[in-house]
Amino acid sequence: MSVLEQIAQAVIDGDEVSTPKLVEQALVAGTSAKAVLQDGLLKGMTEVGRRFREGEYFVPEVLIAAEAMKAGTNLLKPHLAKAGVKPEATAIIGTVRGDLHDIGKNLVATMLEGAGFEVIDLGVDVPPEKFVEVCLSRKVDVVAMSALLTTTMPMMEQSVKKLKAEVQPTPTIIVGGAPVTQEYADKIGANGYGRDAATGAELAKSLVINKR
Amino acid sequence: MNRSDYLELAARGLRMPVGAHLVLHEQPDPEAIERDGRRLGEVVAAAAERYRTPLAVPLMDLTIEKAALLEMLDVPDDAVATHHFATWPGDDIFERVAARMPTHRNVRLEATCEAIRYVAGHTALEPIGMVIGPLSLLVKLIADPITALFMVGRGRSAAESPPVRLVEGMLELATRVILWSVEKQIAAGARAIFVCEPAASTAYLSPRQIAGGADLLERLVLAYHRRLRARLRDAHVELVFHCCGELTPEFVRAFATLEPVILSLGSSRKLWEDAALVPRDVVLYGNLPTKNFYSDEVCPLAVVEAQTRELITRMRATGHPFILGSECDVLSVSGSHEIIRRKVEAFMNVRVP
Repeated sequence: MSVLEQIAQAVIDGDEVSTPKLVEQALVAGTSAKAVLQDGLLKGMTEVGRRFREGEYFVPEVLIAAEAMKAGTNLLKPHLAKAGVKPEATAIIGTVRGDLHDIGKNLVATMLEGAGFEVIDLGVDVPPEKFVEVCLSRKVDVVAMSALLTTTMPMMEQSVKKLKAEVQPTPTIIVGGAPVTQEYADKIGANGYGRDAATGAELAKSLVINKR
Repeated sequence: MNRSDYLELAARGLRMPVGAHLVLHEQPDPEAIERDGRRLGEVVAAAAERYRTPLAVPLMDLTIEKAALLEMLDVPDDAVATHHFATWPGDDIFERVAARMPTHRNVRLEATCEAIRYVAGHTALEPIGMVIGPLSLLVKLIADPITALFMVGRGRSAAESPPVRLVEGMLELATRVILWSVEKQIAAGARAIFVCEPAASTAYLSPRQIAGGADLLERLVLAYHRRLRARLRDAHVELVFHCCGELTPEFVRAFATLEPVILSLGSSRKLWEDAALVPRDVVLYGNLPTKNFYSDEVCPLAVVEAQTRELITRMRATGHPFILGSECDVLSVSGSHEIIRRKVEAFMNVRVP
């Protein structure tokens, strides 16, 4: 097994100790930072997403894999910067105002990173103004919003309205969460709906990265 | 009421939602009522009357015990919702909390107790209390619960892993606060306690680790619930156990060992299959997808009616005691209240030959 394959496997196994060691080993051996990212870390995360989608992995495995990937990515960041490698796109993500649930949001953030996005996590209980503020302060390609409660879903609509009114061009907006539906996404004017974390990230990729 | 009364309710074909939130949000000042025990009691009683049930199930407010605990630790009110412990603060936290418990008053818990007193004193309904379960309180208290719980599943001990120490310490603290809340509600007259443990699910506990031999359910769920169960048994108070999270059969079997009078599960479960996992003296409750009732596309009225017929028919075929109801508390959604209410009425009234 090549070192890149070992890195991918370490991510799949959620091994946050071995992953950075293998990344270091690959860099010392002269492998480019971009290859370590694309063919090692992200490849492993893509496989994790597949296993999650097919019911082989559960939420804990995905988040532990993300921890492993993060441990590797942290080591890789200065090398990527030095080589001029930039993320393919930027996504911001948050659970809407009034809602403190973060598991789904964290999963989507993880999957977005695995799909090549730089992800800015705004956390939970995010007001519409915050989504707008961040979009105005830097280039954002995707805004991802999550709500677990039927009672907090209407805050998505307010956030979408505010983004469309105040941010031009408006980034691609995707929504998700247990009670959210395609019908609801259409009704509030979102560009897409992810029925789970993996499809949400794939959708974002197809709407933004694959269109380039 | 005792276990045989609950079995009798099931045998009589009781249907009921957990519906206090719906009634509450038909009032002009729901937030004020949440802090006014007498009026809250009237809402709980009105919900039971509307849905023709003798069980007075209160609001499913799973934020009360966290708020009460953090108040005891002098965390400012506006920081309670987002406050998380990143590391174990030290064992003296037990003494600090114990010293505050006898006199501490959380306004919403006091209102819940007053509502129970109202139901017990002014109606013929069965007064029921409500608490969050220890694991579900834990995941609200710590910053990164899933990683920490995964470390437990990897067999790490508290001595070698700070996250595991945090989990074990906070679970103990959570259990003590929940027992404190339970005592108050029993003292107010609760004859059953509705224990909500949605975190005891595959979102937090890995079925792969469990299948691999990790004793997650015993170590993180059952050990603490048995203490609650013992206290309820001593007080002759019944247990209603609720978990609307995603589950595997191992979870359902584990919950049943706590001997609840009612086991309430989410809509991801096929109750007619779970009937084989649960003893015959435990009533299964649920589990229509009420979280989607707001959407006419995902969950049109005709589907609610069809699911009602299917669920009742299949449960009859199992012969297992069953009460038809909601998968969780039915929340009123701004702009969709009437749609939701209509679907609740539908499952209450649809005829099943």
